[in-house]
Amino acid sequence: MHFVGRSWLLLTGFILFYVIYLLFGALVFSSIERPMEDRMRTELEVLKQEFLNLSCVSDAALERFLLKVLAANKYGVSVLRNASTTSNWDLASSMFFANTLVTTVGYGHTTPLSDTGKAFSILYALIGVPFTMLVLTACVQRIMFPLVLAPVGLLQRSGLEPRPATIVHFLLLLILVVMCFFVAPAAVFSAVELSWSFLDGIYFCFISLCTIGLGDFVPGTQPNQQYRSLYQVAVMGECSC
Amino acid sequence: MATPDLLDPKSAAHNCKPRLSFSIQPVVLYTPEDECETRTTVMRWKTVSAIFFMVVLYLIIGATVFRALEQPYESSQKLAILAEKLDFLAMHACVNSSELEDLVKQVVSAVRAGVNPTGNAFNQTSLWDISSSFFFAGTVITTIGFGNISPHTEGGRIFCIIYALLGIPLFGFLLAGVGDQLGTIFGKGIAKVEKMIVKWKVSQTKIRVISTLIFILFGCLIFVALPVIIFKHIEGWSTLESIYFVVITLTTIGFGDFVAGEKAGGSDNPEFLNYYKPVVWFWILVGLAYFAAVLSMIGDWFRVISKKTKEEVGEFRAHAAEWTANVSAEFKETRRRLSVDIHDKFQRAASIKRRLSSELGINQEMTPGKRSLSTTLCEDREAYPNLTLSLSPATGSLARNGSLYLNGLSPDYADRRECTFIESLN
Repeated sequence: MHFVGRSWLLLTGFILFYVIYLLFGALVFSSIERPMEDRMRTELEVLKQEFLNLSCVSDAALERFLLKVLAANKYGVSVLRNASTTSNWDLASSMFFANTLVTTVGYGHTTPLSDTGKAFSILYALIGVPFTMLVLTACVQRIMFPLVLAPVGLLQRSGLEPRPATIVHFLLLLILVVMCFFVAPAAVFSAVELSWSFLDGIYFCFISLCTIGLGDFVPGTQPNQQYRSLYQVAVMGECSC
Repeated sequence: MATPDLLDPKSAAHNCKPRLSFSIQPVVLYTPEDECETRTTVMRWKTVSAIFFMVVLYLIIGATVFRALEQPYESSQKLAILAEKLDFLAMHACVNSSELEDLVKQVVSAVRAGVNPTGNAFNQTSLWDISSSFFFAGTVITTIGFGNISPHTEGGRIFCIIYALLGIPLFGFLLAGVGDQLGTIFGKGIAKVEKMIVKWKVSQTKIRVISTLIFILFGCLIFVALPVIIFKHIEGWSTLESIYFVVITLTTIGFGDFVAGEKAGGSDNPEFLNYYKPVVWFWILVGLAYFAAVLSMIGDWFRVISKKTKEEVGEFRAHAAEWTANVSAEFKETRRRLSVDIHDKFQRAASIKRRLSSELGINQEMTPGKRSLSTTLCEDREAYPNLTLSLSPATGSLARNGSLYLNGLSPDYADRRECTFIESLN
């Protein structure tokens, strides 16, 4: 009885702490982002008014038009001139989409439009997500030896005590991971993507690798990008790591 | 275990040790001592790469199906919106194409930032008020990441990274705790049901299967079917769209094309909304725990099945090895006995022959000698009727000695070069 009571207490403690953490995050996000949002909103109002003043378009007609454009844009269909040639559902992009589905990243820049597409995504995800998790666990277990145990053993044999050896190895591994998975891709992205800064690249890498996948940055979606399919395949490979 | 060197009697003597310790080691690289767990669960490279290719194949299949389903729809949408644009331009002749393009670009990027340009600026609620920020923080930590709201300032993004780094493990712990509690609650219910079913004399595995099915069904009812109905009613989505939203959210994919509570801004019933969002958040928490429990259950089965198979295979191998060892030991024992027996017989025959020849050495009559030799030999055989059995007290003494090795050899015999003899017989 003691144990059961204790575990309930622990759980409620956890939930409480979690709620507090969320509140804290909410406060900070709110205070950082809200001013920028207000500024953008006023800018947009001004733009809209300018447009309406210059032209013979009525407010209502513009609203209707904009709503339609935005609805289409939500699904990745753009009305801008140069974006009319590339599709969001060619083979490479579809594979990219399937990959985001199965790794649970889920950017959302392209989403299935048709009902059949939605039904198929449900089935595909229900089968693919557990399967991918099993594969990733197996891969991690397999890589564990050459990546963790062998170097630690090597360090130990070269004279270090077990504890410092593990710490040294951990630090080295951390630096290696950060270099390979954050800094290098971010540099590549900031070179290839025109509107991304270096910080944007790191932000994107982080959001993708944690499988959060907000979708505000998605590589390879700018119009007129060269070698788009190759690029998306490379990004996919990085994501699945 | 070294094989005895047949040419060297000394090494043979040393190496006459039991060779029955079969080690059933899985094929694995040499690992340090404390990695007993990983030793049994590491897959070979072949298996991992095979699974990897299966995943790639799965992705390719998915890609082709998605393309076949979605591309026609996409092109029809594109045509529709282009037609709209041309209509608009035609209707309002004072607008030129480039101005419109500019406006659309600005609007789209504003929408990406979460600002809604339709409607007036007055009765719009911010996307970053406390409850929406709370929801956003929740989507970050649970790694769902809808994306309908996302930080746009540099400070916001950096904070998001740090926040997620700390929050995701925290949420992981919470999920584990909630899952445990769910499991306990459910386990108690299942125990009662199982007690009832046992009366019907159903086998254990069937009970297990039935209880799992009940778990899945019950969970689906509470965490999937009920929310679907609620979303259909409140958000106005179709059934398929609601199911789609539930699955996409609870597997933490989180596209963001459908988000519960998005129509919050400017809705007519503010207090209702105030507790709609927390309820949705709570449902996400428990639903995620349910999905995680289902997944871990599947993983457990997988592990149990593979472990059971390994155990059974291991047991089988151990049994087989033991049996082989016993049989070969028996065989060796018999051979040893026989060979020693024959050897002894030869020795005695040779000694008798020597005696006889030394006795009858002067008398060089072969035939009576031979006859007497044969008779003496016969007498000898009668004198030693149980020549074979003579070894049994010897073996008895050896057994008493307690130093009888498993393959029947003893130290006494060892230093009488029996080993080499027997090995050569082998």
